[in-house]
Amino acid sequence: MTGATLAGDVSTIPAKPALPLDLDEESRTWLRSLRDEGAVRDAAITRLHALLLRAARFEVTRRRATLPHLRGDDLDDLAQQAADDALVSVLRRLDDFRGASRFTTWVYKFALLEAAVKLRKRAWQGREIPLEDDAWNAFSDTTMEPVALAEQSELVETLRQGMETVLTAHQRRVLVALAIDGVPIDVLADQLDTSRGALYKTLHDARRKLRASLEASGLTPNAMSEESD
Amino acid sequence: MEPRDLNDVVGRLLGPAGPEVGCDVCFAELDRYVELELAGEDADAAIPGLRAHLDGCPACREEHESLYALVAGESA
Repeated sequence: MTGATLAGDVSTIPAKPALPLDLDEESRTWLRSLRDEGAVRDAAITRLHALLLRAARFEVTRRRATLPHLRGDDLDDLAQQAADDALVSVLRRLDDFRGASRFTTWVYKFALLEAAVKLRKRAWQGREIPLEDDAWNAFSDTTMEPVALAEQSELVETLRQGMETVLTAHQRRVLVALAIDGVPIDVLADQLDTSRGALYKTLHDARRKLRASLEASGLTPNAMSEESD
Repeated sequence: MEPRDLNDVVGRLLGPAGPEVGCDVCFAELDRYVELELAGEDADAAIPGLRAHLDGCPACREEHESLYALVAGESA
């Protein structure tokens, strides 16, 4: 998909004239062009799409080792899709840009996010996503070296008890999937039909409760860390 | 499941100790944070809680690493 084609797709998105104060000249030019009309805006969108595609390809190249089964064409298709989606996001959120960074840095993060999410989802495509609320099994002696387990039985036992007693079943499932099984947060969010932000909030709350339970048992995280060294 | 180091498992279970922002705030501030880092300024003081979030969220950490590398490459 080209920027010119996409310009038609996003023509219903309102363009507002107000520019943030203290913008650098390059960022000001980008905003003015994208908020213009007709050929000027179409040309700016084409340039923006090229910029986003470059960032998406940068991300795909960095992470391609996570997808060894994909061919170059597949990876470039993924980068193109990421750039297309990022373009729509950037144009929709143009008014959110306040000039806290250069415009190009601001738009890059949209392309990198889209590419990274697509890569993580593709890497987990067809794989079983473990959703165990039985954290006892997940946090069993198969998850760590036997020597470490023997040396740290008190710590492990305290953690297991904390996970069983202070967390809800949903918090356990999320904590085990993200922190132990290494399921990417975007993949789990799709699986649970929720957002990445909401899922991280669940993870954060579970971690806080687990920390508090350990401290109540007389094991502070720092002490545990020293013991584990 | 592969055997793994206890410290690593405990670290991922407990997450960062200090206050942290969420994924949405992280995304909103990431461009400013990276530019402050590249300028040699105190990005952590300017945006409290973002570094802790990067420590606790592998997805946001990946995106931070990529944005930093991309912008740093342009500045070089």
